[in-house]
Amino acid sequence: MLRKLAFTGIKSRLRDYLVLFTGLVISSAVFYMFEALATNPQFLKNSTNGMSAASFIFQFGSVLLTIISLVYIFYANSFLLSMRQHDYGIFMMLGAKPTKIGRLILTETLVIGALSSVIGVVVGCLLTASLGSYLMQSILQTNVANFHAVHVPAILVTLVLYLVLFVIAGFINRRKLIKTPVLGLLKGDSQPNRAKLKPVSQFIQVVLGIGLLAVGYYVMKHFIDFQLASIPLALVTIVFGSYLLFNAVFVWLVVLLKKTKWAQRGINNFTLSQLDFRIRNYTKILATVSILFALALGAITVGMGFGKETDLFTQGSSGYTMALEDPSAAVKKQVNKLDTEKKVSYSEKQSKDTVYYVKEEFDRIPLQDVSDNWMKKMSKGKKAKISYQSFDGQKLQKNPGSLYYLQKNGSDKTVKIISQSEFAKIQAPRQQLYLFRVKNIEKSKKSLDKIVKTAYPKNYETIRSTIPGGYAGYLNGLEVFGGFEFMGFFLGIAFLAMLASCLMFKILSGANSDKHRYEMLNKLGVRKNTLRRSISREIMTLYALPGVLGIVHVLFGLQLFKTLLISPYQGIWLPFVIFIVLYLLYYLVTVKLYESIVLPAVEIDK
Amino acid sequence: MNNQAIVSARDIRKIYGHKGEKQYEALKGITFDVKAGEFVGIMGASGSGKTTLLNILTTLDQPTQGTVEINGQDITSLKGNAVADFRAKEIGFIFQDFNLLENLTNSENIALPLSLQNVAAAEIKPQIEKLAKQLSITGILDKYPNEISGGQKQRVAAARALVSQPAILFGDEPTGALDSSSTTDLLEMLNEVNQQQNVPILMVTHDPLSASYCQRILFIQDGKIGQELKRGGQTRKQFYKQIIDDLGAFQGQEAD
Repeated sequence: MLRKLAFTGIKSRLRDYLVLFTGLVISSAVFYMFEALATNPQFLKNSTNGMSAASFIFQFGSVLLTIISLVYIFYANSFLLSMRQHDYGIFMMLGAKPTKIGRLILTETLVIGALSSVIGVVVGCLLTASLGSYLMQSILQTNVANFHAVHVPAILVTLVLYLVLFVIAGFINRRKLIKTPVLGLLKGDSQPNRAKLKPVSQFIQVVLGIGLLAVGYYVMKHFIDFQLASIPLALVTIVFGSYLLFNAVFVWLVVLLKKTKWAQRGINNFTLSQLDFRIRNYTKILATVSILFALALGAITVGMGFGKETDLFTQGSSGYTMALEDPSAAVKKQVNKLDTEKKVSYSEKQSKDTVYYVKEEFDRIPLQDVSDNWMKKMSKGKKAKISYQSFDGQKLQKNPGSLYYLQKNGSDKTVKIISQSEFAKIQAPRQQLYLFRVKNIEKSKKSLDKIVKTAYPKNYETIRSTIPGGYAGYLNGLEVFGGFEFMGFFLGIAFLAMLASCLMFKILSGANSDKHRYEMLNKLGVRKNTLRRSISREIMTLYALPGVLGIVHVLFGLQLFKTLLISPYQGIWLPFVIFIVLYLLYYLVTVKLYESIVLPAVEIDK
Repeated sequence: MNNQAIVSARDIRKIYGHKGEKQYEALKGITFDVKAGEFVGIMGASGSGKTTLLNILTTLDQPTQGTVEINGQDITSLKGNAVADFRAKEIGFIFQDFNLLENLTNSENIALPLSLQNVAAAEIKPQIEKLAKQLSITGILDKYPNEISGGQKQRVAAARALVSQPAILFGDEPTGALDSSSTTDLLEMLNEVNQQQNVPILMVTHDPLSASYCQRILFIQDGKIGQELKRGGQTRKQFYKQIIDDLGAFQGQEAD
């Protein structure tokens, strides 16, 4: 009988369950996708040496993802409990034993958890097969031909982790339910707890909150002075600062706003009171959301920053795209087909420990390398077109560095620039160092790859990423920076999806106890549009506060990456826009769902 | 006292359930008037249709058939915002469970109907103070509803219902959640408002004591007006006795 009751309870709130279920499925699907990519041996084997670094990055990412999944599942579960507590209260009032109810909620949580995890893994497999390989191909440019979307260890990791989390959540729900008195379950949290404001402690909290944030931001800005201590220091100060900001500063602002004339118009006062009540109850989640928001947006911004870095890294790594030694006619023919900016060849003769070049040849056509000025400008965050500086024979004689870097990889021979007459005397076969630079490495990627294949058919795989010049730099950059970009993007979106869902579930969990207030306002003659406006304003504020704080966190947090990235702030509007659009979507969904719960329907039966 | 009808209900019917389904007729043609300055009670057993009738009179629900005019306006033809505005301006409402917003202070609760009409804050304040003095709730204006007693809550609710100077005050079992002394207090207060400010009151109740404060009582039975009692020249005590007797006869007849 009880089972039947429980089931009808679920049926009557199918839509809310659907929201919860979808959220859980997405969460486990994202987790699976990440694990499948991070631990897939085909993916790791297939990639070259740089990939082991990427694999490490992925593992680090999955730890972060596990933590956020944990937070997410707990919020989703409290939403589940809030939907069910009234029903369970009735069962208990009718005389159902608490142990039996406990077993029921445990079963329910586990069934929902198991079902959503399994469906999530299936969805995850599909996502990995489509979206995952697309992302890998477009960002990492790796060959994913023999990459399998269904990866057993990843399935196991996902299922085990989610089941364990759900078992824990189930026990927490059971405990909460049994500990709450029946009346509490029936009445829900209809009594807002209104802690009296204590002006002195309030003031201290305001000062402390702003102060802690200031310290955190200062530490991030002066990252170099504080070295490794800066990260834990910033984390602690910003987490507590955010908490106090919500606990004191925003509450204080709402109280101030309530005293204005604006508050006396329409139901503004009601909206403010709702917010006041919410912010006090939501302090923890709002602070959490602001931190997660910063992490997610930061991950995307830094990820995309690393993606841009690939170009800079490629451009800046060498004055030429490729340096070939004695290329065959076939290779040269292929090079001629390319869209090249520069093509040059220099004579060389090699002895046992030295490579000789002719000074006069460099005087005629100087060797080029990336200019120091350009590097300086870029590292200051200024956008500048790449420029080169020339090295004639004399300069190279003094400092043959630029030429040294164009030698075959692994060569430890010294480079010497000598006059034409001296060069003629050296007893060695005359060879050719063939250099060229294409206009756009990314566009010519395929042809460049073919050139390497033709020039070194035997060990093309290893030569590809070690051949002197910008092309190898590009490939290496892709593997490292592309890995960062991919992970940043992926983690950012996953974080966003979960943090916004957490906030959504928290708001919707309270919707049932808000219902009667909107009914009262309706009876008092408040227009439906006015109610809608009040709801959207209230929820907007709840979304905006942590969002804005999160953005500020990110803007300061990017200071940390100044040493890693050449220009962390360049083009940050793009990730910000992507992120805000997605966040707005969550906001709109929350408003719609909330309205459907609290707005009274007018019964017209004619 | 003039004889102009503030409420005039004509042949109200309410049928629940869609066509083709099993239908239930909650109101089967109700016709009555409330004149200016009248204090009218509606009594009836549970399920007799009292609440349905009140919901229709207060525009919370629409009749299947029939018309209701309040203060000369046909409320059954109102739509959308007009319905909400009508509720906000023309009628005052007191509920059994007070329906105060517990996240606003008492004075903010009272101010709400005026704020909705965008009355300037400077004008609202004296009006609240005047009403508060009249209803003896001056001392609790800055408290929250969960900090005051049931009787006080109902006074605050009454102040909120009266602040917009409505054409009529509706009560839905206003004394239902009160102890006996608060009940008497509230009824005395309503009587005073009715007598001194000439505000007509229509109150649904099943409590004979509350009903005895009315000038006229309509008994509803199975969706129709079964009987009408008038106080006339009787004292309240006499009227109370008559109500008890009639209620007994009325319900006995029902039981037959």
